[in-house]
Amino acid sequence: MSSPATEVAPAKAPLMPFDKKTRQIAIDPLIDNNPITIQVLGICSALAVTVQVERALVMAAAVTAVVAFSNVAISLIRNLIPSSIRIIVQLSVIASLVIMVDQLLQAFLYDIAKSLSVFVGLIITNCIIMGRAEAFAMANPPWQSFLDGLGNGIGYGVILITVAVFRELLGSGSLLGFQLVPQVAYDLGYVDMGLMVLAPGAFIVLGLLVWAQRTWTGFTEA
Amino acid sequence: MAHSTGYTFGFALGVCVFCSIAVAGTATLLKDRQDLNKERDLKSAILEALQLGGDLDGPAIDETWDDRVQLVFYRPDGSLVTDAAAADLTGDGLLDMDDATAARVAVKGTDKAPELLPLYKRVDDGSAVGAWALPLQGKGLWGPLSGYLALSPDGSTVIGSTFFAPKETPGLGAEIQEPAFEDAWKGKKVMDSGKPSAIAVTKPGLAQGDHAVDGISGATITSRGVDEMVEVGIENHYAAVLGSLN
Repeated sequence: MSSPATEVAPAKAPLMPFDKKTRQIAIDPLIDNNPITIQVLGICSALAVTVQVERALVMAAAVTAVVAFSNVAISLIRNLIPSSIRIIVQLSVIASLVIMVDQLLQAFLYDIAKSLSVFVGLIITNCIIMGRAEAFAMANPPWQSFLDGLGNGIGYGVILITVAVFRELLGSGSLLGFQLVPQVAYDLGYVDMGLMVLAPGAFIVLGLLVWAQRTWTGFTEA
Repeated sequence: MAHSTGYTFGFALGVCVFCSIAVAGTATLLKDRQDLNKERDLKSAILEALQLGGDLDGPAIDETWDDRVQLVFYRPDGSLVTDAAAADLTGDGLLDMDDATAARVAVKGTDKAPELLPLYKRVDDGSAVGAWALPLQGKGLWGPLSGYLALSPDGSTVIGSTFFAPKETPGLGAEIQEPAFEDAWKGKKVMDSGKPSAIAVTKPGLAQGDHAVDGISGATITSRGVDEMVEVGIENHYAAVLGSLN
């Protein structure tokens, strides 16, 4: 016999749950389902902006912001978007966010905006962002979509920065602009690895990373 | 779920309006800051050519600029535009960056001689002329080139240079923006026995003497563009001005 007082109110899902399953949404893309090394998306920008760590950091932050907020925006209107025009709607949202990021960089980080110039615009075509909008945000609530975007952005950023660390250290002997290889080494005949500054250097580093990561997690292409 | 055609059109319109407002709003709000950044970027490049330190940041750039750099105009015949006349020409009596840009636009187009020739003067010890920076404009392979050649007070020797190649290929033509290329100009002469004489950009490794610098390997058209830009600037547009400084 149940009295009205003990009746359990229908479980209302909290607005921003943070249980294990929800956390997994953000953690998964870091290693186990990394957008670059597992899904092999967003490769072009990983090649282009990884000559210096500083640029890679800004690019990672920009992509993370764009993918997180585009996921939220798409998720908020996911039930209103007519499916016949959903891709172009996603693209409009993403493009607007990217332009806003570009404007912010030009206003507050002008030097970096100059060196990233075209690559910021190309965030629009970064397949990770569109991929997350279509695959996740269209079917999940805003909070989960935000976490998914955050996770994917950071997963992308981690790889970007790792590649950049190798390339800047081996290619220019510095990290974040600070010279690490001492002048003495150059006087003794050490030469920076020119290949690392060029795109093939990124291919090689990225290839080795994919190999290392897949060996570690035991992932094989289905 | 299927939506009616009307709804689809309406939704598309709504998204467009919303996105336009967001983008236009951001751009308008940040415009002043962006313009300031661009202005400082240009100032910093000129300061660098004038050997006043290229590592300055933010307000320090404005300060050094205001203290040490003056913009003056010459006529193509080599006569200095006096303050009163310059006030007429520039409208507001102030020779600011906008006027300089307008004058540089006038220098564009190599066949037409500009009416006004801007020169940036580095002021040492309050009044003495420390150096001149001569703005140049030309064309490279993919787009415009520009640059500043800083000259000694008598207008005969290059003391520094800055080049801009926004559209050139990174690693090839864009190398003219690197210190290795810019530093090669230091000490070169633009006067030869009292007559303006340009500095040629030669094939890599062939530059000899005071009137040549090495071009960039693999960037023949860009190197040629710099060569032409400097030649037109020194032997044509600024010839009389350099003569009068000498």
